[in-house]
Amino acid sequence: MTTTEGITEAIRTHILAEYLPGTPREELETSYDLLDNGVVTSLDLLALISWVEQRFQVPIDEVEISPDHFRSVDAMSEFVKRTTGK
Amino acid sequence: MTGLTEDVLEIAAARPRDPALRWRGADISYAELADLVRRAHQDLAGHPGEGPVAVVAPKSPEVVAFVLACVLARRAVLLPSPDLGRTALAELVHRAGCEHIVTATAAATASGLELRETGAPARPSGDVRFLLTTSGSTGAPKIVPLTAGSTDRFMRWAVGMFGIGPGVHVLNYAPLNFDLCLLDVWATLRAGGRVALVEAEHAVDPGHLVGLLEDDPHVVQAVPMFFRVVAEAVRSSGRRFPGVRHVVLTGDHTPRPLRAELPAVFPGARFHNVYGCTETNDSFVHSFDGHEADTHEVLPLGRPLPGVRTRIMTDEGELTGAGTGELWVATPFQTRGYLHEDGARFTTEPDGTTYFRSGDLVSRGADGELRLVGRTDFQVKVRGVRVSIEDVERVISEHPQVAEVGVVAVPDPQAGRRLHAVVRRRSDRLTGLGLRQHCAQRLVRAAIPAVIQVVDGPLPHTSTGKVDRKLIRKELLAGGS
Repeated sequence: MTTTEGITEAIRTHILAEYLPGTPREELETSYDLLDNGVVTSLDLLALISWVEQRFQVPIDEVEISPDHFRSVDAMSEFVKRTTGK
Repeated sequence: MTGLTEDVLEIAAARPRDPALRWRGADISYAELADLVRRAHQDLAGHPGEGPVAVVAPKSPEVVAFVLACVLARRAVLLPSPDLGRTALAELVHRAGCEHIVTATAAATASGLELRETGAPARPSGDVRFLLTTSGSTGAPKIVPLTAGSTDRFMRWAVGMFGIGPGVHVLNYAPLNFDLCLLDVWATLRAGGRVALVEAEHAVDPGHLVGLLEDDPHVVQAVPMFFRVVAEAVRSSGRRFPGVRHVVLTGDHTPRPLRAELPAVFPGARFHNVYGCTETNDSFVHSFDGHEADTHEVLPLGRPLPGVRTRIMTDEGELTGAGTGELWVATPFQTRGYLHEDGARFTTEPDGTTYFRSGDLVSRGADGELRLVGRTDFQVKVRGVRVSIEDVERVISEHPQVAEVGVVAVPDPQAGRRLHAVVRRRSDRLTGLGLRQHCAQRLVRAAIPAVIQVVDGPLPHTSTGKVDRKLIRKELLAGGS
């Protein structure tokens, strides 16, 4: 799970399972805006951040976090890569 | 006017061969209808009383005649919903004080219907003509007594508004227990027109409905579901019904994409969006021609009917300018109040006007036009934001690939409530995520449903043809999702 594709797919799997049950995998484009379109709400954001922290060992305390980092699967993937140096 | 049935019998004497009813592909003349009324009246004479009669049989010429016979005998008619279970029906009949009940279970009588005692203590009919019901919040239907005077005034308006008279054909889609029948059944018969009765079992049968429209009705009043079924049925064939002069949209918001289809289907019609409820009957009408059918996102309520008074009330008092509040209406057609209920929904002003608090939220725009926003009780808070479920449904239904939608609020430990939308799509081009984007462009974020479930099969409907939110909600809660 160190490739970009691996990270992206793991995030996509999690988003589909947690927030979009029943949605076909290919339907969720990695650039889809999860925040504006109400998939991930402000209340969900905390849980999502903590999932990313644990799943990818992101040093959450050391990095600046903005909701924009969780706007899409791509954005999250980018955030994970940047903060973990993967 | 002397009385509803007296007027019908007078027409039977003056123009006996005029068609009164259209039933299963054949006409029934006023003379034949009068005959049925006389037979029913005989049956009724064998069961004297002054209490109301409950009529629970499915719609038929015999049942129409029986109702007319009861009205002639000055006995109020209770018309319960056919969906009512046995226990609930017995309770309702008792509460209404019905001495007698008419059912279609036996054919041993002159009318072909079975009439028997209920054992309930009679409640004198007085000047009450019909006892209709509305669903109460606790599930037990509330009884709405309508007097001869209030229904006469309504029928007079309806006959004038839609030009109903001899030679005019009116389609009756609603079941007999609906107030809509005051227009399409009772006002039509009283004015000498012909009523085509749609049977409940064919209510969503596209071929059957198209067949009835080919019978050339001039006035068609129905809920949006009827027009949706018809529009879908004729979309490929391109069939048209140019003989229809008046299309009356009622009972629910008609989504813009559906409205856009109607002028082609009814090229000769003027359209009327009617607002009303059982307690007050019709209170507003917005009339428009085909070319205006889809100019509005939401149709305005339009003009109050003659004699109708309205107020828009907010927590701060009456709304005078633009804004949103609960609609209060006082109509010449309204009930005096529910039977056996406190009068909480009715408020009498110092000038003696009794307003009905409709529970409907309306907004008044800068242009002065009123528009229905939703129900006061369909407002929910999602993450602290007040959301109108009906607003969400309207926005979703305006997506061209959406056939129908039901949105319900389910409890959520974090958000308080979350919205769950079930959407039937017209084609598989529609995806839940695509619909989300549609919502996101038109709604505040809290109003975007947490779950958008896209299905291909029809949604459950109530007997009124509305999407059955209660059932959807029940199934969701049972499924634990």
